[in-house]
Amino acid sequence: MDFSFPKEYRLLRRVVREICETEIKPIAKKIDREHGVPSELVKKLASLGLMGVPFPQEYGGMGAGEIGYCIVAEELGRVCSSTTTVVGAHIGIAAMSIHLDGTEEQKRKYLVPLAQGRHIGAFGLTEAAAGSDAAAIKTTAVRDGNEYVINGTKVFITNGDIADTIVIMAVTDASLGAYGGITAFIVETDSPGYSIGSLENKMGIRGSTTAECVLQDVHVPKENVLGRFGAGFLTFMKSLDIGRASLGAGCLGGAQVAMEASIQWAKAREQFGVPVATKQAVHFMISEMFVEIEALRSLVYRTAWLIDTHQPHIMEAAACKLFGSETAGRCSNKALQIHGALGYSRDCEIERGWRDQRITEIYEGTNEIQRIVIASNLFRPYGVKVST
Amino acid sequence: MRIIVPVKQILDPRGITVRRDKERIFVNQEEYILDPGSKAALEAALRLKEAALDAAGGWEILALCAGKAQADDALREALAMGCDAAYLLCDKAFEDADISATARILTAAIQKLEGADLVITGRESGDTGAGQIGPRLAEALGMAQVTDVHTASLVEGGLRAVRRWADGFCAVVAQLPVLLTVAPVAFPPRYPLGARVMSAYREWQVPVWDAAELGLDEAALAPLLSFRRESFPPPLDIGERFEGDPAGMAEDILAALRAQKTVR
Repeated sequence: MDFSFPKEYRLLRRVVREICETEIKPIAKKIDREHGVPSELVKKLASLGLMGVPFPQEYGGMGAGEIGYCIVAEELGRVCSSTTTVVGAHIGIAAMSIHLDGTEEQKRKYLVPLAQGRHIGAFGLTEAAAGSDAAAIKTTAVRDGNEYVINGTKVFITNGDIADTIVIMAVTDASLGAYGGITAFIVETDSPGYSIGSLENKMGIRGSTTAECVLQDVHVPKENVLGRFGAGFLTFMKSLDIGRASLGAGCLGGAQVAMEASIQWAKAREQFGVPVATKQAVHFMISEMFVEIEALRSLVYRTAWLIDTHQPHIMEAAACKLFGSETAGRCSNKALQIHGALGYSRDCEIERGWRDQRITEIYEGTNEIQRIVIASNLFRPYGVKVST
Repeated sequence: MRIIVPVKQILDPRGITVRRDKERIFVNQEEYILDPGSKAALEAALRLKEAALDAAGGWEILALCAGKAQADDALREALAMGCDAAYLLCDKAFEDADISATARILTAAIQKLEGADLVITGRESGDTGAGQIGPRLAEALGMAQVTDVHTASLVEGGLRAVRRWADGFCAVVAQLPVLLTVAPVAFPPRYPLGARVMSAYREWQVPVWDAAELGLDEAALAPLLSFRRESFPPPLDIGERFEGDPAGMAEDILAALRAQKTVR
């Protein structure tokens, strides 16, 4: 049993940390204030291979697997959650779904430019009346000769407005329900009929755009069906299962940096003539952060290892997302408390971290859904069906 | 065209605390990194290759490192940055090597590789900062040298370099082969590509050459220096410190200079 990272991963982490500290950290506040990750930054990340971390090199990726991707997500999470989200939606669900279920032709045509970062990806599942209840989607795809015609509106789509390629979930047979009636399609966003509606004005991750994507008679060739026809639900479940591990890794970075900032501030801040770092109330908060962060670190990288070695990982990945987001929540909250009024100020990174963290308990499957995923897997052997 | 870049691995300064009051350097975290000066040398080599129109044909950049087994990591990073091959020069007999012995080890390796058109080193390393390896190596190789180089380009008849000179810069053209030491500030290094980081460890090999393979005997490795103890240089007199807004500070500085009769 060896818990140390192989050397290539240690060098990867060092390189990515330097990129994050030099290229992203100085502009993280601007990204939040001005509501956008600069396209030059995305291009820079792409040129270094960071837009295709887990994918094989033969498809334009870095070849670093899920462990490598979790390292990158953790390092991004330390400096800018908006950037983490842009990269996460692109790699973790959009490109990942094509990597998992795409044909060789689809991978050559769509995965390669995504992994190289020449194209940006998005994933379109959520609709006004369908989120956690994914089977309730109303977007339809109807066969027309060698094409499908897609109609519907997707909401809360990360990268929706900047994506070149979007994977759209659409109902192909309403009578069959979730399993059999929903199909995934690869849609090029310059297709006639594809347009962007409103952008969300969010509490956090304000640099990551969240768009309404309108599909009006969008024609896609039948070759763009992703995965088996009617099995779109499985495609997105598989992608989300993997995406949840790296989501936990991003939270790990955010939690870690909240703890580090708290230690630094507690050393500097004096009250009653001594640094607050000498106060037991602060010790307890920081120790609790440390314990949760270390537990999360073990969970995240063990889950990444399960994924890379093709072992079952659904419950562990759900646990990464659930425990990761809540750990980041508790840590950013404690960090804000330690920072006092300063932590509540817009000028403090703790304030941004606190706002940015909150969404992680909601997106990519709410934490309630993660609990259901875990419970349904635990009870399945006993024939108990877990109700949603 | 063949460029050889001797590199150094140093203790990461972010993991150490210098305690002047205790006259000691505390190592909190023992991590080793590729020396920033060496990175600048690699960057200079890579830029020359990229600038050459015939870079595809017959160009190679080789990295060398005389060090302990862990220096393998520094060479893998050099490969990830873009080197074509890397060699580790490692032997128990090298452990007491001072700068002169290190220059002889590197010379033996460069000769084993049948020489180079260009040898590039950092101007000085980030740890000891001696700035001697380049000049000593040039001397041992019998090569011309240009030190403290800020720009370098290949021209008709050799290499044109701009180097620091007294209170300015001067341009020199050197015939090849030549050794350059480069100023880190002039060659901020590129980030290694992610895919090359993976390949550097998973696919590429770093051969290890020992004293026997380099044909070095005890006499060749005898150091000129013997190490007695470390001590701290006396504290620098940083002079007077001015604070305030720029206009106010300018006036204060001027007043102080007038008081010293430095300016009128």
